[in-house]
Amino acid sequence: MTIDTITPDEILATPPGDLAIWFFIFAELLAFGVFFVAYAFARAHNVELFDESQRQLDISSGAINTLVLITSSYFMVRAVAAIKQGLSRVCARWIAAAIALGGIFLAIKLVEFHDKFSAGISLSTNTFYMFYLSLTIFHFMHVILGMVILAAVMLKARRGGYSAQNHTDVETGASYWHMVDLLWIILFPLVYVIH
Amino acid sequence: MDATQRTRFIRPCTYVWLLLMLLTVTTYLIGEAGLGGIAVMLAVLGTAAVKVQLVAGYFMGLRRTRWLWRGIVLGWLLLVTGLITIAYLTAIK
Amino acid sequence: MQFKSQAVAKPYFIAAIALFVGQILFGLIMGFQYVVGDFLFPEIPFNVARMVHTNLLIVWLLFGFMGAAYYLIPEEAETELFSPRLALITFWVFLAAGALTVVGYLAVPYATLAEATGNNMLATMGREFLEQPLPTKIGIVVVALVFLFNISMTVLKGRKTSISLVLLLGLWGLAVFFLFSFYNPSNLVLDKYFWWWTVHLWVEGVWELILGAMLAFVLIKITGVDREVIEKWLYVIIAMTLITGIIGTGHHYFWIGTPEYWQWFGSVFSALEPIPFFMMTVFAFNMVNRRRREHPNKAATLWALGTGVMAFLGAGVWGFLHTLAPVNFYTHGSQITAAHGHMAFYGAYVMVNLTMISYAMPMLRGRSANSPSAQVLEMWSFWLMTVSIVFITLFLTAAGILQIWLQRMGETPMSFMAAQDQIMLFYWLREAAGFVFLLGLVLYIWSFFKKGEVQTAA
Repeated sequence: MTIDTITPDEILATPPGDLAIWFFIFAELLAFGVFFVAYAFARAHNVELFDESQRQLDISSGAINTLVLITSSYFMVRAVAAIKQGLSRVCARWIAAAIALGGIFLAIKLVEFHDKFSAGISLSTNTFYMFYLSLTIFHFMHVILGMVILAAVMLKARRGGYSAQNHTDVETGASYWHMVDLLWIILFPLVYVIH
Repeated sequence: MDATQRTRFIRPCTYVWLLLMLLTVTTYLIGEAGLGGIAVMLAVLGTAAVKVQLVAGYFMGLRRTRWLWRGIVLGWLLLVTGLITIAYLTAIK
Repeated sequence: MQFKSQAVAKPYFIAAIALFVGQILFGLIMGFQYVVGDFLFPEIPFNVARMVHTNLLIVWLLFGFMGAAYYLIPEEAETELFSPRLALITFWVFLAAGALTVVGYLAVPYATLAEATGNNMLATMGREFLEQPLPTKIGIVVVALVFLFNISMTVLKGRKTSISLVLLLGLWGLAVFFLFSFYNPSNLVLDKYFWWWTVHLWVEGVWELILGAMLAFVLIKITGVDREVIEKWLYVIIAMTLITGIIGTGHHYFWIGTPEYWQWFGSVFSALEPIPFFMMTVFAFNMVNRRRREHPNKAATLWALGTGVMAFLGAGVWGFLHTLAPVNFYTHGSQITAAHGHMAFYGAYVMVNLTMISYAMPMLRGRSANSPSAQVLEMWSFWLMTVSIVFITLFLTAAGILQIWLQRMGETPMSFMAAQDQIMLFYWLREAAGFVFLLGLVLYIWSFFKKGEVQTAA
């Protein structure tokens, strides 16, 4: 595939990045999707408990984290654009910025977890917290995995391992990172806001 | 990719990024105000669905691919948000 | 056969099939004891027959996996095996240990066996599938380590392919998770909790990697489809297996005293477990349809396709039937579990071993495929065994539904034994289907001795 000739109007046969990552992404979407739906139906059986527990969450940190992830995702778009022009160093810098924002996400999330755990909340507290903790921890681990993938891509980019023609790994990493963002975009309103 | 192509690649994504930030702030304000009810629920969930489509289409680049790939993500999105809506509506009764 | 050292696979395959026969005979004894309770009592009580049936299954599957690895690894690594002699020594050690263990089960009461083999020093016995005496367990670890050393060294000095790496990952996982069989907390909940780390993470985790690698290898050989295509499928299937299978362990944690959240984890993740099996079915059919050559071994192709279908039905569909926590509330530990167990083990692990043996045995005997008449016989055995296992599964499912209805639902639930009397008919039918299975197995073995015109391997 010669990426350099592709203009935004052309139709690609497969999505950007390695096709295998897309099967992986779809599997992840399915797993999270089942969990989101399970949350909604569990709530339907216990509305008061869910609404009451939801009010104890910190919406601000959830919203800030959404902004952080969206911006980080945008940085990966810039990283892909840079490598398409053959600018390895610029690409690596955008990826570094995206990883840094991932780190901020994790830090904010850790403060939230610390608050909840020090308040004695655990997976067994009630069904809402079971879902809140498992969904956010499950997502948390995906953020870490995404950062690991991006770090590997960044190191190779910094060494000049990609070019304007050959940079599937960058798109693969970006696609996975966008998925992590996409999942949080549903998770945040579902668990923090909607009642 | 030359400079014009670069602009055509980045500029829509920049607008999308700004739009996503704006929509997130809206959701946040609704949440802080503690609003509830069917209309608010549908609005917030609908906003999330639009955001997902924007990320999938522009950031993930699916708008430049065959319908199959966009269809998988769109189908997943409609299924998940649809079932969530059903669950919330049954809770209201 | 491209490498001389692949020949060590042969005794492993022969031993596997011999033990398979033993497993089926004890299955038939046990199936008969379901309907005539004191059959062969006190010589072979039910619990002993059951132990021998399940233990032989595991041991012969392990023989099959090892044989498959010894055949597959040199060909993938494009080099002779690190040490064929070591492979033969471990073969005899493992066979002797297995035989002695079965003799121990049959000759003396289990409690006596436990006392004689040092169970009072380190208690590991008495748990389903892990009944082996301490010396046998230690023997298994030693044999596994020597085996892993042998094949890992072979891969290290040769070509590293995705198939051999996935196979190695699966086999190392198998050895590592077996170590949990030495951990036996006195708290019954914790005991069960970690028991599943061996049992579940074997059959719904690392064994699936072995299965995927073996199937991919045979498919490359018989279809001639590009390695790249097959490897990509293999990676995706394995990623799905691990995502769903690891947390899917939770579906064993319902109603045994573990925290409630396991009901959610177990239900959600194990509900997705059929997906990798479904992908395996699509994978097998897709590759055969895109084949670039007509391999003379039609029987092996049939086994490969059968593995895809039956693994999906047995592990995927029959597993899903009772994996959701609210359903499992009623079905837990009923004949539904037995139905699932039979079709899943046959469809996934028995069939993949038979696929491998069907492909490799003719090669080991210096021909690319058996004679057409031998293959016809083998295909008969395929259909007899597969159809009879489907019937065994259906009869046990019917028995299970009736059992649950009589014993666990309704106004006046029956006692366990009273309910068993009511489902006797299905146990008779199951036993009859079991004899058909034995007939299929006899034909399978006969097909190896059937003469006819054969093509010599290139």
